[in-house]
Amino acid sequence: MTNQAHEKLPEQLQKALDEGLLKQLPRTFLPVTRQQLHDWDYLFPYERQSVVHLLLFLASLSPAESTALFREVVQVEEKMGVRDWQFSTEEQTILNASLLARSPYYQEWRKAVQKVFDAAEERAAKTSPAIAASHRLLLLVIPQKLPLDGSTVWRRWQSVGRAVKLDGPDAGASQSPTQVLLGTPRAERGAGLADIVARRPGSTAANVWILDAGHEVVDSLINAPFEQGSYPATLLSYERLAVFREQFSHEINTMQKDLSAADAVYDRLRKSDVTPWCPPEVAGVPVIREYLRSLYLSGNGALIYGNSFVEWGASEALRRARPDLLVARFGARSKPKPFTSVVVFENPDQINPLPAVDDLPGSGLDAQVLALYVWLAASRYDEYRINTACICLAESLSEAYVIAPPEFALFREAQPVPFVRLRTVLAEWLS
Amino acid sequence: MRVKEQLLSRTFSSSSGRVGDPSRRDFLSAAAALLVGLGLPSTSLAGGGQHGSGGSGQRVVVVIFGGVRRAETFSLEGIENIPHLSGDLLRRALFFADVRNEGVTAHFNAISSIFTGNWQRLDDWGKFAPTTPTLFEFFRKQLRVAQSDTWIIASNKALTSLVGASSASEYGPSYGANVVFPKQLMVAAVVNALQAGRTGNLADRARIEAELQAMLEAGNYEGLGWNVFDGVNHLEPRVRSVIEDAISTFVRSGGPTSGDELTYLVTREVMRRFSPRLLVIIFSDVEVAHFGSYALHLAGIRTGDRLAYQIWRDIEGDAEYKNRTTMFILPEFGRDPDGSATNGFFNHRSDSESTRSTWMMALGSAVQKAAVIERPVRHVDLCPTVAGLLGCPRMELQGVPLSEFRV
Repeated sequence: MTNQAHEKLPEQLQKALDEGLLKQLPRTFLPVTRQQLHDWDYLFPYERQSVVHLLLFLASLSPAESTALFREVVQVEEKMGVRDWQFSTEEQTILNASLLARSPYYQEWRKAVQKVFDAAEERAAKTSPAIAASHRLLLLVIPQKLPLDGSTVWRRWQSVGRAVKLDGPDAGASQSPTQVLLGTPRAERGAGLADIVARRPGSTAANVWILDAGHEVVDSLINAPFEQGSYPATLLSYERLAVFREQFSHEINTMQKDLSAADAVYDRLRKSDVTPWCPPEVAGVPVIREYLRSLYLSGNGALIYGNSFVEWGASEALRRARPDLLVARFGARSKPKPFTSVVVFENPDQINPLPAVDDLPGSGLDAQVLALYVWLAASRYDEYRINTACICLAESLSEAYVIAPPEFALFREAQPVPFVRLRTVLAEWLS
Repeated sequence: MRVKEQLLSRTFSSSSGRVGDPSRRDFLSAAAALLVGLGLPSTSLAGGGQHGSGGSGQRVVVVIFGGVRRAETFSLEGIENIPHLSGDLLRRALFFADVRNEGVTAHFNAISSIFTGNWQRLDDWGKFAPTTPTLFEFFRKQLRVAQSDTWIIASNKALTSLVGASSASEYGPSYGANVVFPKQLMVAAVVNALQAGRTGNLADRARIEAELQAMLEAGNYEGLGWNVFDGVNHLEPRVRSVIEDAISTFVRSGGPTSGDELTYLVTREVMRRFSPRLLVIIFSDVEVAHFGSYALHLAGIRTGDRLAYQIWRDIEGDAEYKNRTTMFILPEFGRDPDGSATNGFFNHRSDSESTRSTWMMALGSAVQKAAVIERPVRHVDLCPTVAGLLGCPRMELQGVPLSEFRV
């Protein structure tokens, strides 16, 4: 399988491209632009909109305006000597990234590029409708089994929100708090948070993301499907993706330690048919298959630890899809095994027969930091600076850290807030 | 200890290192207060700056960590991760509070820049040697020093043996350092056992030792990235004995089994057998941060803190080193700040204070008095400083010798 685009580009954009728009672009803009156009089928709606905004903005410029806009970038490229590099103008490569990053003018180049994007965004802000006023919710869950210190658990959040005491659900309940909030199983689905967002006009699976370091939450949603084979939410379980991960790790581990080999392996991984490696909720959704491929290629521990997968996956979802509802549920990783852990992090159970032992305190600390990182990732984007509630749920403490606008109803509730009431408040927020 | 904590808690601000960069100024105030409390000066010391020619008889040990942020080390909250650096060593150290990596904040380039005194901009994968001479080459060529006197012992898989000598025409590998990557031996042993289907051996200490010995006997030292006495296909008996003893301790002691532990054990044996005059140790357990485990990253910092202190104790307990050795401890760079588009502590590529500004401690014979140096210095300044301590003639480099040392 290749990433050849099958869907037509928007007519206006295609016209601009036919008229030679790409010829206006500096060399270092070409790889990412061409790759986005090439991968059009695999872009989320938000990304497509961004590409269209940028390119139509550029197409709207007169030759003189275009030259002025790119002047700094072109000047820096000349100083860098990009023309003499082995620099791909067709796609992003590791070699490209390496050449740019070790240039003494790299920071200067980044600043010049940022100015171009700032100008495009400024234009988009003037010409596009304001950000939709619909409410958004980020639900970050540190599960019961991870021990947390109540006196320090929210310290890293630096008082950007406030802690709220919760009551229940019972520790022995058959459903996890996350399952209760999402409204699974089917009998209780009527008020599920995912359903509420999925029913919004124009909502797609890209508007609802559930990332689970384990499998329970995704399992429960899949076992009570919305419709046969239909998933109006993006469902990603670290454990359910084990085969995908193992196959990918195997390929990457064969990579030689040099740039040309790395790009060759990455090229192979970009072209591999990953469908057989995917669980059903992913296999049938090309954009998510490609999102996962890209996520694994970008590293950041997504292939290694469930919590890193959840954090980096959520951060990339926020950047690329701007979902209305994102649930990130963390979990436990194993303790490093003696000797082999210094060597190979992936598939420790396959290479070392010693039994895996959960590192619960360590996983708890990892989850605390990574939950904050998801919020920080969201807070980089305008969409999440307004009308967004972020709830970080510390199940073992029956406590949540809440960042939300002052009108958020939870702030008016008497504490401890019953769990069913929390669910109602969140459902009302999204309704 | 209690006095120090009181001073620190009085003068440090709250956790400024978490969301955003930590405050160096806060640390400076605290460290200065600490030294005042100990009756030590907090301003730059006079003297130094004159670098003699000819061998000085001095020895230098440089301990380099991978990327660690100030937030997790010399800050109010980070200090608990470095009890030995902040407790046992700071009181006798010359502490440079703002040491800047102004180059490429990737491993091979950072280490090469420290070694050469010039900012290196090389291939990230260690396929090319530094373009200007390293400290080892200056030392060996100018002072006719034996190769056994210069060693690099490193955990970091991102380095290669090319880090030990430059491609400069009048210098090069014949003047380079011995380079050993103990962790690579472990990597090779595990991969070898896996390929042969001997996974059961990896859970048994005695069999692990046999696997490691087998790799040592296999003789593919070039494949391990080692370059010891020009031995690509063989190890000199003394070196072999060093490695075997380190492996034995590593496997049988029942102690921690991280890559840095093995690096330390090899270092200890090299010090005992060869007493090198210039020894660089590079720890990298902290780089587990790339996989996103904050807890394991902190564990790596604590391991580095403990092992650096142990090396200092080894120096003080060894007649070859005691009273004639200066030890430097510094990170390669920081890590990216929380909230950065580069995913915070996972990486070290943002152009931020959190990534570029680190610290450095110096201890030992060239340190006249403990002090905190506030002025910014650069990684490339270490090479000419160490060269001066060793008695090398002054060189034309981007880095300049630090004037605070007694030469």
